[in-house]
Amino acid sequence: MHIRVENLTHIYNQGTPLERTALHEVNLEIEAGERIGLVGPTGSGKSTLVQHLAGLLQPTTGRVLLAGTPIHSKGATARSLRLQVGLAFQYPEDQIFEQSVFREVAFGPRNLGLDETEVKARVHWALEMVGLDPARIGPRMPFTLSGGERRRVALASILAMRPRVLILDEPTAGQDPQGRRALWEKVGQWQQETGMTLIIVSHALEELARLVERVIALRAGRVVADGPTREVLSDARLLRDIGLDVPEPVALLQALRQAGKDVRTDRLLPAEAAAEIASAWGLRRAGA
Amino acid sequence: MHPFIVIENLQYVYPLESGEQIVALRDVNLSIERGEFVALIGPNGSGKSTLARHLNALLIPTGGTVWVDGLRTSDPHNVWAVRRKVGMVFQNPDNQLVATTVEEDVAFGPENMGVPAEEIRQRVDEALAIVGLEAYRQYPPQMLSGGQKQLVAIAGALATRPSCLVLDEPTSMLDPVGRRQVLNTIQRLNAEEGITILLITHSMSEAASAQRVLIMNAGTIVMDKPPAEVFAHGAKLQALGLSLPPIVDIAHRLRAEGLPLPPTVLTLQDLVKALCTSA
Ligand SMILES: Nc1ncnc2c1ncn2[C@@H]1O[C@H](COP(=O)(O)OP(=O)(O)O)[C@@H](O)[C@H]1O
Ligand SMILES: Nc1ncnc2c1ncn2[C@@H]1O[C@H](COP(=O)(O)OP(=O)(O)O)[C@@H](O)[C@H]1O
Ligand SMILES: [Mg+2]
Ligand SMILES: [Mg+2]
Repeated sequence: MHIRVENLTHIYNQGTPLERTALHEVNLEIEAGERIGLVGPTGSGKSTLVQHLAGLLQPTTGRVLLAGTPIHSKGATARSLRLQVGLAFQYPEDQIFEQSVFREVAFGPRNLGLDETEVKARVHWALEMVGLDPARIGPRMPFTLSGGERRRVALASILAMRPRVLILDEPTAGQDPQGRRALWEKVGQWQQETGMTLIIVSHALEELARLVERVIALRAGRVVADGPTREVLSDARLLRDIGLDVPEPVALLQALRQAGKDVRTDRLLPAEAAAEIASAWGLRRAGA
Repeated sequence: MHPFIVIENLQYVYPLESGEQIVALRDVNLSIERGEFVALIGPNGSGKSTLARHLNALLIPTGGTVWVDGLRTSDPHNVWAVRRKVGMVFQNPDNQLVATTVEEDVAFGPENMGVPAEEIRQRVDEALAIVGLEAYRQYPPQMLSGGQKQLVAIAGALATRPSCLVLDEPTSMLDPVGRRQVLNTIQRLNAEEGITILLITHSMSEAASAQRVLIMNAGTIVMDKPPAEVFAHGAKLQALGLSLPPIVDIAHRLRAEGLPLPPTVLTLQDLVKALCTSA
């Protein structure tokens, strides 16, 4: 589903002393099936932007179009388009209401009017996608879960809707490395099978480097960079400028360059950086 | 003198509504000296938070014993003394701040302990100075960044004058700037104020900055070594679902390519130095 953001401005608490411009004239085009990373420091407007993409906020000015239809239009078309955008919130507490994990994840599919067999199948599939055992965790009350588990339940309840646009707002905060890897493997694979659009808000640049092809950077409510992942995430000046950490492999290669070594610095992953150093140190044929 | 924290054969079982039980900790044995900086890592659900909650008597062992500065936490008379000695900071900055201004929030702990007003003011000043937030005393906490909120939570814990801080994933909801602020503050509290630190984290780079790293798995401690030695066991870490810090990962890969690098490489500076002397 094609998404277009036109001159989107969002002002919270307009006209009060707490007035805050969270987004300022943002313009974006997102093609169906793109995998996008959204980065920027806290307060730069990432969560506000993704809530607009899901139609959960009203713009102060500007608009969002889903497949050419303004997202807030009345009528069945816009409504069904909105239902195809799934946003997993940054804070799962904002999202969890039901008395058991099963009911929580089943809530959306039931609302779609699916029959109980299909609902059950979707709940099982979604919990397995996020690495939770449906039999063990399904009956639990959400508030007895750890923060990491609650976050995954919130994510499962979005996946269970089988959205065509999946937006994850800092989904791996508080998850262990293996849980992260497993989640990204499954979500990545599912994305490839379905061709859905994937938008991930994250500070974990190494994970983005593995998963997305395009990175959009926000600072103070404005888009300050938008390009191929390798370019944006190896742009040390830009990243420092907006208060993000340069990925450690890039920082290492830059330090080596400064020490007079002839190495490329746009290697985002440890394996890539090691290969670059190995070839510069004559341990392997270049590019091997 | 006895170690600050001594844990013997600790077991903890959560009862569930269904009558089932979850054994969250088993056979935990551990001692931590005054002034140590210890990192605790391990997969989700391995029992890290459950262990942390035993250190200030939020949980009482269902088996075995926890001593804090010689006080047995299972003795009801010791609960408040233990809580004064060990401050806790949790993951989500938004759930920890209770008051309408930063200074009231920091004053909350000592007020609860019945500290006289004059001394509270002094402690709040001192705690805010340590975390570098003097300028924000009158701010409502909601107006602060995530990192600043965590620093307020740390100041609040400091205002009770603890000898030890237990921080349960304090940086995992923060952006890189917030993480650096919090980690630098933790390091300074340890180095300059001599506060014993137990830092729970999923960041291997943060763990690398501790003096000692504990790894938990399935409710028990499976490794307890200085960071350089822990990260030398790359395969074992991966088997436990953990990863290496990127710099250590790169160093391992280069060794596998035949580059002789010292086993002590932990930081970017270490690796640059080792590489520039090896070619
Ligand atoms: N519900 C809200 N009410 C008032 N201000 C808000 C609200 N949500 C966010 N803001 C403000 O809007 C700005 C952008 O916030 P947000 O979109 O959450 O950024 P990010 O997700 O990048 O951290 C910040 O200045 C924040 O304080
Ligand atoms: N309040 C609770 N009730 C029941 N089980 C719990 C509760 N809190 C944690 N657990 C369970 O105890 C185990 C250890 O959890 P926890 O200490 O939170 O691990 P960690 O902090 O390493 O993620 C997990 O299996 C978790 O599901
Ligand atoms: Mg956000
Ligand atoms: Mg925990």
